[in-house]
Amino acid sequence: MNPGPSNSPRAGLVSVSALMAIRSLELRARSVVEGFWSGLHRSPYHGFSVEFTEYRQYTPGDDPRHLDWRVFARSDRHFIKKFEDETNLRCHVVLDRSRSMDFGSIGHTKAAYAATLAATLAHFLHLQGDAVGLLTFDETVRDYLPARHRLTHLRQLMHALEAPALGRATDIAGPLRRTAEIVRKRGLILLVSDFLAPPETLERPLTELAAAGHEIAAFQVLDPAERDFSFRDPSLFEDIEDGRTLYVDPVAAKSDYLSRLAAHQDALRSLCARLGIAWIPLGTDQALDLALFDFLQGRARRGRAQRSSAPATGRAAA
Amino acid sequence: MSLLAPWFLLGALAIAGPVIFHLIRRTTRERTPFPSLIFLKPSPPRLTKKSRLEHLLLLALRCLVLALLALGFSRPFLRKAEPPATDPSAGVRTVVLLDTSASMRRPGLWDAARAKAVKILDESGPADRVAVLTFDREVATRFSFAQWAAAPMGQRPALAKSTLDSVAPGWFSTRLGPALVRAAEEFNDNEPAGAAGGARRRVVVVGDLQEGARLDPLQSFEWPPGVEVVLDPVKPGSPGNAGIHLVPDSGDADRGSDPVVRVRVVNSPDSHREQFRVGWSGPGSPAPWIAPVDIYVPPGQARVVSLAAPTNSAGLDRIELRGDEEPFDNIVFVRPPVPGQVDILYIGTEAPTDSRQPLFFLRRALPETRRQIVRLLAVKPSDPLPPENLAASRLVVATARLPEGSAAALRTRMEAGATVLFAPPTAADAAGLARMLGVPSVEIVDAKPANYAMLGDLDFRHPLLAPFADPRFSDFTRVHFWRLRGFKGQLPAGARVVARFDSGEPAWIDFPVGRGRLVFAASGWAQDDSQFALSSKFVPWLYALLELSGATAPTAPNPIVGDPILLPTGRTADLAIVAPDGKRSTVAPGEPRFEGTATPGIYRIGTGTEMREVAVNLDPAESRTAPLGTDELERLGVHVGRAGTNPVAGTVPPVVAQAAEAENRQKLWRWLIVATLAILCIETVIAGRAAARSTIPREATS
Repeated sequence: MNPGPSNSPRAGLVSVSALMAIRSLELRARSVVEGFWSGLHRSPYHGFSVEFTEYRQYTPGDDPRHLDWRVFARSDRHFIKKFEDETNLRCHVVLDRSRSMDFGSIGHTKAAYAATLAATLAHFLHLQGDAVGLLTFDETVRDYLPARHRLTHLRQLMHALEAPALGRATDIAGPLRRTAEIVRKRGLILLVSDFLAPPETLERPLTELAAAGHEIAAFQVLDPAERDFSFRDPSLFEDIEDGRTLYVDPVAAKSDYLSRLAAHQDALRSLCARLGIAWIPLGTDQALDLALFDFLQGRARRGRAQRSSAPATGRAAA
Repeated sequence: MSLLAPWFLLGALAIAGPVIFHLIRRTTRERTPFPSLIFLKPSPPRLTKKSRLEHLLLLALRCLVLALLALGFSRPFLRKAEPPATDPSAGVRTVVLLDTSASMRRPGLWDAARAKAVKILDESGPADRVAVLTFDREVATRFSFAQWAAAPMGQRPALAKSTLDSVAPGWFSTRLGPALVRAAEEFNDNEPAGAAGGARRRVVVVGDLQEGARLDPLQSFEWPPGVEVVLDPVKPGSPGNAGIHLVPDSGDADRGSDPVVRVRVVNSPDSHREQFRVGWSGPGSPAPWIAPVDIYVPPGQARVVSLAAPTNSAGLDRIELRGDEEPFDNIVFVRPPVPGQVDILYIGTEAPTDSRQPLFFLRRALPETRRQIVRLLAVKPSDPLPPENLAASRLVVATARLPEGSAAALRTRMEAGATVLFAPPTAADAAGLARMLGVPSVEIVDAKPANYAMLGDLDFRHPLLAPFADPRFSDFTRVHFWRLRGFKGQLPAGARVVARFDSGEPAWIDFPVGRGRLVFAASGWAQDDSQFALSSKFVPWLYALLELSGATAPTAPNPIVGDPILLPTGRTADLAIVAPDGKRSTVAPGEPRFEGTATPGIYRIGTGTEMREVAVNLDPAESRTAPLGTDELERLGVHVGRAGTNPVAGTVPPVVAQAAEAENRQKLWRWLIVATLAILCIETVIAGRAAARSTIPREATS
């Protein structure tokens, strides 16, 4: 029962299958990010980042160790390079490691793809100088690494991502609530999950998370077979999580399945739009650097929108 | 192709099963793992259209398996060119084989068998022909087809019946195999070609059809097609029988040991009795019953009992089994072997204690046994030969130079039938050879091989070497000879070289002299001559020489009824033989054996004053009275039909019987089952591959 040809993914800089063939998660993440950096030279969107560093004119009293001597050599002026710590963003990658992620029809599972995505985001953010933390969950929160910006911490994070998933069920709402309790400081929260839960159960925890002032991006990872339901032969479909079986004739059930899935996706999309959450649906056949690109592009757009509406928001908050 | 059980073809309707199952969307047990079922609804199995038949190759294979199974169960066979169908108007050719063996002496059996034979004769129609044969150890034609044809129409059955009036069961063993072969040949021998036409041919065997019936010749006999054997057994009033037989005893045992007679008591599997008694008995009424021994033999088993030979054996010549209802095989006759006296005259110069000389070995090679007492008289060559000893000795061994007088005396004795073994120690000592052979001169030359000589060319057909004819015993290469006396020149007429050395020179020569013979040994068995005396060949060779000379009778232990009694060779006078019933017969000197052992008992053989007694017993196989299985005959290729005196009204129609026989012979169903299994294997492989193809490979978590 092979799934049929999936929707052709956009061509990325690094092919997904080639990427997933790399055993080391860290190496995988680095490949994506480095490919992404080299790709930026051709990109019209260069010059943005999570929080870009800035230079400031030297004033007497500043520590001369922070003078940028290269700029001085070029321009004969004294500029102080602002400490990266000062502009750091606190990021948390929240990764779904439930059994439903343990499905794959094209050579790698959703869990592997999601872990690579999380590692890529973490690596990228680390390169930007941001503090990155990790929170994994299935039916409850499993691992928690607080946000830090240290190379050893990044290694630790990669190691945690490589650990096998042991969970059975999924409960996104509970862990999200728990995330809101753990992550007190405002920051960026990157949710990576398949979001195969009724949208109404997600509304409340997401609202709480957004209300805590976090900036949230939701990455939904789906397998092409899940997305297109391209099975042909009837068989017993077994729920990976709870083992329930259902006799399904795919030919007859496909249209109904696709319409239900579309409704689910629409509900999630509208919920995220309402809460100001970036909604990034990804197929496991989709290039990761493009996913990163989409994320940053969307964030830049939102950043501009937020900057333009900042006074109104500030007033509302007050 | 024809079918023996065509209704089994209905089983092929089961082909509908796979077709329907292939039409139904499989409610498969294959599982497809899926992340979440929240968007799925169960769908019912449904029939696809005819054009959607799935896995056509698998469907074809499954249907083929069912079809082959159905075909196999219907037992197909190929009809071959059938023999011409029997023509009811041509009548029936029947050979009645009537058993007259010893086991038919049981009460009531013979009368019943005879009544059955008479019934067959009475029921014969005008077109039928009947031949009557009786069999036990031999087959006797009582009334042939030719006699039947020659007799007037109305008197045929009566004439045939009259031939049975004088017939009664004897004491011989049952040899059913030769009897069946003879009966089958009766159709060809005694009926002119084509006379039988389309007549049905059958052999009706009437008798107790016991397990002990010998079927040996049937193994090498191709049973003629169209001849049917009908077994018509007669049953005794009470089943079961026990018998007693003598266990062969080796005659080489020491004479001093206590004589013991061993008998085997056999109880047939269908017997009801287990407790028997065995004891010495003798003739006379009432018969004596000495030292009975209780013995327990379960049905189907046998026990061997050792009975001490009575010290005063006068009148006790048999061992009797009591406790069995069938008396025909309950007596075994025993005669202790009477040691024969063998006189040997030895002519030599050496002392009997000289362990390097021939006499020393000769004495030790011929010990006294239960069967014979050897008296060896040694005389010096210089002494005249004692006439009375010379006359008594059938074997003379000379290992020294013989004076003229002795040589002449020996020649005279040889001409009267004696045997002389002449082994001169040197060529010069062989001077008397020419005189003994009656030729002017003989050239004998001393020879000494460079290393040693061996016997190369041996004539195992000669009685002297006959005991070594078996390849296990024919290796003489370990016997080395160091000194030879080569016989040069032309051998006299009639002389036969028994063995030659590897150099080609004669080693042992057999010269016929009158009614006797002279055996010349070119090398003796003295230690200076050869190793012969120390080899394992020496003693058997000496005994063969004794038998050749007629000094000892050839041994034939425990003869059974019908076996010939071997008589001593080299006799000069007629032998009188007294049978157990007192009947006296005479055997001429040239006859090597006595054939008339028709009853079990003690046969007395001798010249009048000196009588030797030989016990002749019943064949042990006659005691095996359990019924013979028809499958045994069928295994030997005999076409066995059903019992029934009226063949036309037989229960099995001939066409069906022929079809069943053809099917049974061809066994095509076996090949169909093999083909079914092969197709099932192919189906399994193809189905396995199809299943593997249709399953989404589950990826292991990375």
